[in-house]
Amino acid sequence: MSWRDFFSFGRSSAKKPARDAQLDTELRFHIDALTKENIAAGMSPAEARRQAQLEFGGHEQIKEELRDVYRVQILDAAKTNLKAAFRFLRKSPSFSIAVILTLALGIGANCAVFSAIDAILLKPLPFPESDQIVKLGQLRRNAKTPQTFVAPVRLEDWNRMNTTFQAMTGYYTEQESETTGELPEKVTRALVSPRFLQVWGVAPAIGRDFTIQEEHVGGPDVVIISDRYWRNRFGADPQILSRKIRVGTDSHSIVGVMPSSFHFPERDVDLWSPIPVDAKIAQIRDATWYFVVGRMKPGVTVEQARANLATVQAQLGQQFPKPDAELEVLIEPLKETTVGGVRQSLWTLFGSVSLLLLIACTNIVSLLLARATQRQHEIAVRYSLGASRGAIVAQLLTEAFVLAVAGAALGLLLAWGAADIFRALAANLPRIEEIHLDARVVLYALACSVVVTLLCGLFPALRGTKRGLSGSLAQSSRTQVLGRNRFQWLLVGLQVALAVTLLAGAGLLLRSFEALGRVSPGFEFAHVLTLHISASWGETANINGLSQRIDRILDTIRATPGVENAATTMTLPGVPGEFTTDVRILEGEQDPSHKIVAESRFVSHAYFDTMKIPTLAGEGCREKFDAIQVIVNRSFADTYLQGQMGIGKHIEMIGNSFLKSGEIKGVVADARELGMNRAPAPTVYWCWNAPSPDPNYLVRTVGDQPMTMAQMLRQKIHEIEPGRSVFDITPLSDRLDDAFAENRMRTVLLAFFAATAISLACVGLYGTLSYSLTLRRREVGLRLALGAARGEILKRVLLEGAGVAALGCIAGCVLALAFARTLAGMLYGVTPYDPITLAIVIALVLVVALVASLIPAVRAAHVEPMQVLREE
Amino acid sequence: MPTDKSDLLQGTLDMLILKIVALGPVHGYGISLRIRQISKEVLQVQQGSLYPALHRLEKRGWLTAEWGESENGRQAKFYKLSPKGRKQLQAEESNWERLAQAVTQIMQTAQ
Repeated sequence: MSWRDFFSFGRSSAKKPARDAQLDTELRFHIDALTKENIAAGMSPAEARRQAQLEFGGHEQIKEELRDVYRVQILDAAKTNLKAAFRFLRKSPSFSIAVILTLALGIGANCAVFSAIDAILLKPLPFPESDQIVKLGQLRRNAKTPQTFVAPVRLEDWNRMNTTFQAMTGYYTEQESETTGELPEKVTRALVSPRFLQVWGVAPAIGRDFTIQEEHVGGPDVVIISDRYWRNRFGADPQILSRKIRVGTDSHSIVGVMPSSFHFPERDVDLWSPIPVDAKIAQIRDATWYFVVGRMKPGVTVEQARANLATVQAQLGQQFPKPDAELEVLIEPLKETTVGGVRQSLWTLFGSVSLLLLIACTNIVSLLLARATQRQHEIAVRYSLGASRGAIVAQLLTEAFVLAVAGAALGLLLAWGAADIFRALAANLPRIEEIHLDARVVLYALACSVVVTLLCGLFPALRGTKRGLSGSLAQSSRTQVLGRNRFQWLLVGLQVALAVTLLAGAGLLLRSFEALGRVSPGFEFAHVLTLHISASWGETANINGLSQRIDRILDTIRATPGVENAATTMTLPGVPGEFTTDVRILEGEQDPSHKIVAESRFVSHAYFDTMKIPTLAGEGCREKFDAIQVIVNRSFADTYLQGQMGIGKHIEMIGNSFLKSGEIKGVVADARELGMNRAPAPTVYWCWNAPSPDPNYLVRTVGDQPMTMAQMLRQKIHEIEPGRSVFDITPLSDRLDDAFAENRMRTVLLAFFAATAISLACVGLYGTLSYSLTLRRREVGLRLALGAARGEILKRVLLEGAGVAALGCIAGCVLALAFARTLAGMLYGVTPYDPITLAIVIALVLVVALVASLIPAVRAAHVEPMQVLREE
Repeated sequence: MPTDKSDLLQGTLDMLILKIVALGPVHGYGISLRIRQISKEVLQVQQGSLYPALHRLEKRGWLTAEWGESENGRQAKFYKLSPKGRKQLQAEESNWERLAQAVTQIMQTAQ
């Protein structure tokens, strides 16, 4: 098989009919000539023709033989090679199984991670032309505060004045209760501004979009429901458009059902309803509560949109100097804001599975090399029968390819089986529901097997078919074996090095995880339950009523037997969620160049008691108060109040016209409110139990099993709030675990990959050592016969294995240090160059390597010299 | 088929074809005719071997083929020796000479 044959294959099949006709003409000419000859010899024309045909032989048979001359052998050769490959692999099942399993592990892990990367990072979001969709926000110029909600009136201005967007829309979500049934049932409702569906480019599967009347004050109350809600609550009723649902106190007509693929803005959204665009509160330029997304016009880049909106905002700044002159517009592709956070984790995982696959390949290269040595005889015979090197290489590659495809297929099965585990580990990843083993992943697996074939197969095939080696089979094989062995040891060292790299990474992550577990958070999360109670933002219209309602609920919870204390907070302690604000201390001169930046947290009375955060000076939040109270933490006092407690001073949040200034009433100890991995930041606690209609409720229980209180709490709250549902009752410890789910996922997976890697490396070490000892049985036997002690042999073999492992470790450390920086952002409490981790990894690898060398070493030491010497 | 006709030695057909074609462009029938005539009817080439051999040689690039008109005005495929084929012919000829001499030698001395 050569390249020319390959190309002529294309030509020959294209010209087939023409060639057949030519063959016919050529053969017929011959028969005619013979006939003429016979007539000249005196036969009758009929007899002459019959004789001619007889002499000529089977016309069709000859044509078939002629066709054979042109039939290109590539397919036949491939078929033959495949057959030979299958025969060969069947003949050596243990070799085949070892290779296939190794590859299955390597390719399977790779495909599993690739399917996640493909679904989360590579594929566009599941909306038409989703790259046109961007997320928008407003930002106070020069402020440290990443507070990006948009005022509805400003959204309408942007939408009207821009030239780069097809449409923009705003939304927010709230957890409310559907009250048609006997018990209130929690529903997630998205409240959306006009043009919502237009921006997504998705139409309802049943029914219609909202009308203009419905988007104005006094219009009919309507909802569009999600496919899931339609199925679960209404049993997929086809007459759905004639039905109504009751949310809170209002009844809504159902005007549409969205397709099942649409679940924006939240995975579990049940309803969408319009917000009146002309509501009074929606006209206040300081009232910011919208998330905003927009669809850019075709061909517009994010930069152009950014420039355009900057101009628009500058115009608004002239029109409404306060507050618009201080604002700028943030634009970010929606996909980036959705998945940008997990990119590093995913690529790190992908890097580690690629290393794993590389180790698997290296392993297979040494297996194939060993194999090729055993087959030297076969190869030499094929050469002497006239096979070209290309043909033999093709056959060896076919074998590797068959192995690779089998490995990939098994790997896909593994990946498919492991998908559930992966999904459980990665439940918090965005777009996790979009991860499937689809055609793209299968294609990827196939591509993997081709790469693996070339990576693993080519070198052993080329080396194994060197004429010099295989042609002179009779020559001393020992010298060649030594040469090849050196290369195999290099491969083993490489495997060890890669495994050390992976282990070092996993070790660092594990150590950070352990360090996180040891951190003292500054608050006590055990025995604390968190829960939510459905509410609507509309209730904020009567802010005092809302506050009283929440106080009443808190009193009820506190009165429940088994409850020690209860409080509300805007953001859960220890769960990452920042609210960085610029604040000002009203007393004394303030240097404008030294801004006071603090985390703002809104907590109710008894928060510090509930979370057991000690009060250092003054008092905590009081239950009843006339003016707003503020508590600061120790870091704030140290950083901004020169260590004085500053009690009695007043603090104001800059840029928030709704919140009046508050008086500092006390100082509490630092707590890791922003997450276990974050040092406490200067923090201002605003004593305000109702920063949102549905804050987090924190309940400190007495018993060891806080969840046993769930039913009782539900019932007590239902007694005073029959129209509200209680949901998400979860121990705070679980919420903290969830907050680090991504961290846990990558740690667990990386540890798993690293463990697999070191196992593979050991198998490689064991295999190569066993193999080289098989070849050296004679030498070992001779040494023993000449009086070497068995212990000496054992030691030598062990040292050989350990030596390679040690060299691999050194190389691995270099690699690990080179890669360390990629992990830097994921570590806590250890540096990327942590010597202890490296030392532990090296010790582990050396011990494992010694164990792997032990079996071949013992076997070598027990060689019977007489038997071996007689064998040859 | 008469018994005084001999089968061709394996591998010699290619050489004979090359030799005949070396005399000038010729079609398949012409080749079989010449082999018969020159060998005085001793060698009879089976068409079932001749045509595959011709096409194989053409594919290897030792022969080139052209369609042309035969003596009686019909379309026929004429084969011509290529430079590569000429080299091959020389090689085969010298090879053959050595072989023939060796065989003759054995036959004579071993009597």
